[in-house]
Amino acid sequence: MSFIPGQPVSAVVQRIEIHKLWDGDNLILGFSIGGGIDQDPSQNPFSEDKADKGIYVTRVSKGGPAEVAGLRLGDKIMQVNGWDMTMVTHDQARKKLTKKNEDVVRLLVTRRSLEDAVRQSMMQH
Amino acid sequence: MEEYDVPSAASILASVKEQEARFERLTRALEEERRNVSLQLERGSLPSDRLVGGTTGGSNQPLAWQQMVMQEQSPSNQTSLAMMQEPQEVVEETVTIEEDPGTPTSHVSVVTSDDGTTRRTETKDNVTNMKVTKVVKSITHQTFRPVILTESKPSPSTATPSETKPVTKMVKTVTTRTVRQVPLGPDGLPLPEGSSPLGSYTDSIDRRYMKNGERFITPQATSTLTRSYNNYSDSYNDAPDSQFRHYTLHDGYGDMADNYGSLSRGVNYRPYRPYMPTGGYRPENSYTLPIRKDDYGHVAQPQVPMGSSTMDLNRSQPERFQPEPYGLEDDRRSLGPDDEEPYDLEPDYSTANRRTLPGRTIREPLRNGPRMRGYEDPIETELIDERHPYIHGMYPAPLAQPERGSLASLDRMGGRRSPSIDSIRKDPRWRDPDLPEVIAMLGHPIDPVKSNAAAYLQHLCYENDKIKKDVRQLKGIPVLVGLLDHPKAEVHRKACGALRNISYGKDHDNKVAIKSCDGIPALIRLLRKTNDMEVRELITGTLWNLSSYEPLKMVIINHGLQTMTNEVIIPHSGWEHEPNEDSKPRDAEWTTVFKNTSGCLRNVSSDGAEARRRLRECEGLVDALLHALQSAVGKKDMDNKSVENCVCVMRNLSYHVHKEIPGAEKFQDPSALQGPGSAGTQRKKKDDAGCFGGKKAKGRKNGEHDKNYDTLDLPKRTEPTKGFELLYQPEVVRLYLSLLTESQNFNTLEAAAGALQNLSAGQWTWSNYIRATVRKEKGLPILVELLRSDSDKVVRAVAIALRNLSIDRRNKDLIGSYAMRDLVSNLPSGQQRPAKNLEEDTVVAILNTIHEIIIDSSENARSLITAQAIDKLVAINRTSQSARETKAASHVLQTVWSYKELRNALTKDGWNKTHFQPIPTGTPKGSRSCKPGYDDTTLPLMEKNQGNRGCSGGDMIPMGELGPDGYSTIDQRDKESKYKSSDVSSDLQEREPLKNDTNRKHYIRSNRPTVSLVDACDVKPQPVDSWV
Repeated sequence: MSFIPGQPVSAVVQRIEIHKLWDGDNLILGFSIGGGIDQDPSQNPFSEDKADKGIYVTRVSKGGPAEVAGLRLGDKIMQVNGWDMTMVTHDQARKKLTKKNEDVVRLLVTRRSLEDAVRQSMMQH
Repeated sequence: MEEYDVPSAASILASVKEQEARFERLTRALEEERRNVSLQLERGSLPSDRLVGGTTGGSNQPLAWQQMVMQEQSPSNQTSLAMMQEPQEVVEETVTIEEDPGTPTSHVSVVTSDDGTTRRTETKDNVTNMKVTKVVKSITHQTFRPVILTESKPSPSTATPSETKPVTKMVKTVTTRTVRQVPLGPDGLPLPEGSSPLGSYTDSIDRRYMKNGERFITPQATSTLTRSYNNYSDSYNDAPDSQFRHYTLHDGYGDMADNYGSLSRGVNYRPYRPYMPTGGYRPENSYTLPIRKDDYGHVAQPQVPMGSSTMDLNRSQPERFQPEPYGLEDDRRSLGPDDEEPYDLEPDYSTANRRTLPGRTIREPLRNGPRMRGYEDPIETELIDERHPYIHGMYPAPLAQPERGSLASLDRMGGRRSPSIDSIRKDPRWRDPDLPEVIAMLGHPIDPVKSNAAAYLQHLCYENDKIKKDVRQLKGIPVLVGLLDHPKAEVHRKACGALRNISYGKDHDNKVAIKSCDGIPALIRLLRKTNDMEVRELITGTLWNLSSYEPLKMVIINHGLQTMTNEVIIPHSGWEHEPNEDSKPRDAEWTTVFKNTSGCLRNVSSDGAEARRRLRECEGLVDALLHALQSAVGKKDMDNKSVENCVCVMRNLSYHVHKEIPGAEKFQDPSALQGPGSAGTQRKKKDDAGCFGGKKAKGRKNGEHDKNYDTLDLPKRTEPTKGFELLYQPEVVRLYLSLLTESQNFNTLEAAAGALQNLSAGQWTWSNYIRATVRKEKGLPILVELLRSDSDKVVRAVAIALRNLSIDRRNKDLIGSYAMRDLVSNLPSGQQRPAKNLEEDTVVAILNTIHEIIIDSSENARSLITAQAIDKLVAINRTSQSARETKAASHVLQTVWSYKELRNALTKDGWNKTHFQPIPTGTPKGSRSCKPGYDDTTLPLMEKNQGNRGCSGGDMIPMGELGPDGYSTIDQRDKESKYKSSDVSSDLQEREPLKNDTNRKHYIRSNRPTVSLVDACDVKPQPVDSWV
């Protein structure tokens, strides 16, 4: 998925709602993110466009809330609770995800397989 | 095993008889051989001495390949040479080539008995169905201990190799092979026990007796026996129990049993190798895959190109295509992830191979089935030139290239290998050694084995915390550390590589383990000794990793500070003690070594006052760092990690200079509370005369009186400043301002602003100069500009720097007029967060800066009002979730209200007194403030460190109370790191946070006091990966 930073993005997205889990004293989501506009996008192994500075899911802990909710490795996070995640720093994204006063995060994610699926179905018809 | 049952009883009987007949012949042949041998023995028992040296050590190593190595290439292995050349040795070699149903086994066993007899048995099955059994018997008088490659233990899991548990499997496999002392007599003669070969085939036994004296090889007896060599070789084992081990060991035996139908054997080994019965006999090698998987499964060993089995490697996959964030696996250092690094990593563990075999990448071989394993290569060659086996073949070659290491034998062979061989041998039956074996091999007397073992360890540890821990628990770390002192470059390089990977990660126990076996001095010693750039990178990378753990920082300083400075920092910085006037000043070189070392120093520089003192007083360090930074500015090349590290060190060292440098009291501003009247007397102290001379005193005096003047009388120096004095010379201001103007790296920006913040804090002469110099160098607009930065921490550092700078009255006026709007725009307005959405700390810092600016300046307060700040302040005061923000906003509001001349304007805008009063309904807020749910842990620290900034507050933020130090953040960072040391430093550095810690970490990070030392940040690898 390529896009022009700052421009509206049209993408096939999936909504994922993750209920945070208490792990000790911490509320966790059970995945990790990489990327952000302050990171080197070329090191992102998941992005198709190596200039994409979006936030990507880099790890999903087994059995964790994220996995349960259907989040997958390599998903690109477009929004968190309505906040845009395509033009944020890594830390900003992290903060949006880890707000203590929110038990639930609603993600808008896109993943290549989704796009592929749509593309295929469009080609078929 | 079905085939097993196929033959009819009659045919079995027939074949048994035939086998017996063959056996008889064989026995006769053996007898003859034995006579020959004993003859030889009698003739010469002299040469043993020569051999002894080399042979003694190797015996204990469990691994088959090691033995191969021993024989083939290592010097100690003179044995092999000796055997060949020395008069008294007898080499007996038997090679059998037979048609085989295609069982995919190949095996080599080498048995050396005390009497010096070495037997080597190779069994190979190739695609072409070639099987070779070779028995080499050499009699030498050596202390070689017999090693049998056979497996003694059952490997239950092998039957169903699954990918999921590579490790366990591996372990099992490992257990299958044990090194045993074989109680063989010189001519351990045959127990024909297993000998009822069903199959009919011909064994050809080549015996070559080597008479060393004459140096010729005589194939004295070449007899073709109809007997299976398996039996033959077995017969050498006197110990009954060893026999089945033999069988089990050799995969090949499985085949043989099948083919030849030696019942006893089959029975023996079957239980141990469950998989053999099922898959082993299938012609298509179908079972080989699982087996390999099993054997090689989790080990992607770069050095050993694997056969087709590699497809199944569990481990190789993840490693290569690790989903890990940007693959920082490189493990180099916990700290700094350079962008490129992840991809550099590979070379680290696979260097040997790559170097030796250009064009043949490790990975590729793994994917291509037919690649042979290294160990086998020798065998292949042997196969090819059977007639001139050990003597001329490969052995000389290995000796010629000892540096390759045992595994290198493979590579070596690779070069020689003919395509036909490739096709022949598809399935090497080698397994990778397990961890205890690898660690044991570190102590192997043969250097290449050591280095390969270390390289393999490095590879295994890569991104595998479990293995790191296992290595530690198996006491591998002290051995590796011991190898650092090894004279051979290959060995200490590999050991260092392994240590670097081990030292990376959250597990501080690994770091401690390295330290507690004196690894740090050993690394430093090696750093002094070696000129190999790669080794230096590894050393400094390891040190960087180690430096991330708080308790080790001082140790590193104690052992390595001056060495790192002399060996790396100074040479790479381009700084010269006594610059040659003719030569152009050199620029800094941003080498990896420099980056690693500066990263290490950056970490250790945060360890507190003592660490700072040591670094400041380290000869040449400050000079070199400054030179490097100046060179960076000159070249406009300041976005790299090295610059970031240097600036961070400088910032840390600038912290509390006004208190910590020797003789600082002399410069205390008498007007400040700290150094009342003592200044005068102190000034007269002798030290004073030192570097600064009398002028300084004068300068100070001017400074204190001229705070408000634009012109400042800087002290004149009679001689160039050096060392730590450079830290606070007004000249550095220009450097930092250049960095602030030019750099795009947020960490660098933050550090440079933090350095100015630190330098402008405090009431002493030099901070007066600094504050004035920033103004004169037109630094205020630069700083104000940075208030618009997208980076939270940059905004925070700049805000606090402005606060410190505004101690200077003139600065305060300027900042009040020109910075207010940008300060205010960073404040959140009510519900609607500003675009930047700054962290609480930043907001608090900005509020405090605003407060500082408007104190004693109704003009500034007025510009605050005109900047539409009251709206925001009131909103924060009333609605902010953060107690600290509320408190800080409240202070500002109270101060504003205290200017009676402004009240008119305020009420005109619709405000009244209640808006400016602390919220009386403090219950909710109060409770919140005292116990903000999320960061209980950090709060006390904040309170302690930040004084009023925390929720501890008085009504106002009196400057005196805050003191200059309130503004400089290093201590906070120190404390923070001390209290939560492990978490802080580790999380910042490591990219794989433990789940439990993550949230806490994040909070810590986000709450980090404004200008704190950057060191923590550093540690964080560039490509960040955060658990949420």
